[in-house]
Amino acid sequence: MYHLSVDSSRCQGHARCLAFAPETFDFDDEGYAFVVADKADVDELTAEVKTAVANCPERAIVVTEVSPANP
Amino acid sequence: MTENSVPEVEFDFHGKALDTIFDTYETLLQRCPVGRSNKYGGFWFITKSEDIFAAEQDPQTYSVAPSMLLPEFGTDVPMIPIDIDPPDHTFYRKLLLPAFTPKAIGKLEDGMRRTAAELADEVAAHEVVDVSSTFARPMPTIIFSRLAGFPEKDWPKFDQWVDDIIYERTVDPERARRAGRDLMDYFDVLLKERADDPSTDDIVGRLINADRDGRKLTHEELQSYCYLLFLGGLDTTAWAIRASLWYLAQHHGDQQRLRDNPDLIPLAAEEFLRTLSPVQAMARTCKADTEVSGQQIKAGERVVLVFGAGNRDPEVYDEPNKIKIDRVDNRHLAFGAGIHRCLGSNLGRREMIVSLEEFLARVPRFSLANPNEPWHGVGPLTLRIGG
Repeated sequence: MYHLSVDSSRCQGHARCLAFAPETFDFDDEGYAFVVADKADVDELTAEVKTAVANCPERAIVVTEVSPANP
Repeated sequence: MTENSVPEVEFDFHGKALDTIFDTYETLLQRCPVGRSNKYGGFWFITKSEDIFAAEQDPQTYSVAPSMLLPEFGTDVPMIPIDIDPPDHTFYRKLLLPAFTPKAIGKLEDGMRRTAAELADEVAAHEVVDVSSTFARPMPTIIFSRLAGFPEKDWPKFDQWVDDIIYERTVDPERARRAGRDLMDYFDVLLKERADDPSTDDIVGRLINADRDGRKLTHEELQSYCYLLFLGGLDTTAWAIRASLWYLAQHHGDQQRLRDNPDLIPLAAEEFLRTLSPVQAMARTCKADTEVSGQQIKAGERVVLVFGAGNRDPEVYDEPNKIKIDRVDNRHLAFGAGIHRCLGSNLGRREMIVSLEEFLARVPRFSLANPNEPWHGVGPLTLRIGG
């Protein structure tokens, strides 16, 4: 299991995550990213999400591995 | 060892120096990733991607005063918001963030596409044509001016102001100053005409009617903001579109690949931004003594973050000097990073992508008609169409 979030202290609104993984990321009215609520916990990281992580200029996307035993 | 023992090199990032700047970057990244140049009153340059990124994340040490531009953009007035440090910067930026979100820019797409299609059809009707003055430059002039609220009757004056302020400033600084005064005067008149207009449909209207702790922005604040938006909105996008076409005119395989697979155009646009970016470098001033890759930089010294070099850093990019239009991992710094990330990046990217889509769909195979025209700038780019 993985938990996805956007570190709002780092995000500067480049919107690269939205370009690569529009189903996972959305943007607020000032143009900062957040993870869509029901997409934050996933079993596997899709290629799209991995690409979004690799392309975030601010390294703002946080991926945490969550042990299934301690969800 | 003091900073005085660091050898100075003649590193420049404007004008003719751009002709060979990618070779210069390769040498600096190998031998002297942080060093001193004696140009423009002297400055430190930082070329490694990680060092540039770290500086961008530390606005307390790396101030944008007196200007992010070196040399300045035809004025000593600090340009809002790029020449302003927090906390004022935070307020100014917040004012316009909503106008440049991906969703806000998405609403402009139909208009962008119509404009790009009309301009591209005109290009396609020629055998030999300068696509800078007929396509790359009019596209942002039309799209950005409409968004900003710069009246159409004034558009014919815009290219000359951009040329004089941005491109002549290293050749004929007085000419840049004169154009700078003319542009400030232009906004003086425009803002006075609109002073009592409550409309917030365009960017000028948003700024005029903005609230700052119970007061409106002063005339000087508005003038400074408009001045920066004008230069930022018109020049960089034109360069990016022109440089993309310059590359594609010489690489017919890639040109045809994008024509056949327009879904690849967004990735290709990122690669053109990485390698041929209109913003090769931006300046800062150190507020405290600091160390970068082993070099000691003292408080008060000017520092130039060389994004164009960082974007070709072999520690970050595989085959950094090769333009791969399907490069996927591309965390380039063409729009900067940190709190000064280009406010218009979503707009610039969209304009670039839509421009390339419409151009490639409407213009048959094209080649350089004058191979001496440089990759950089917004000067003529003469193409032979159908050749």
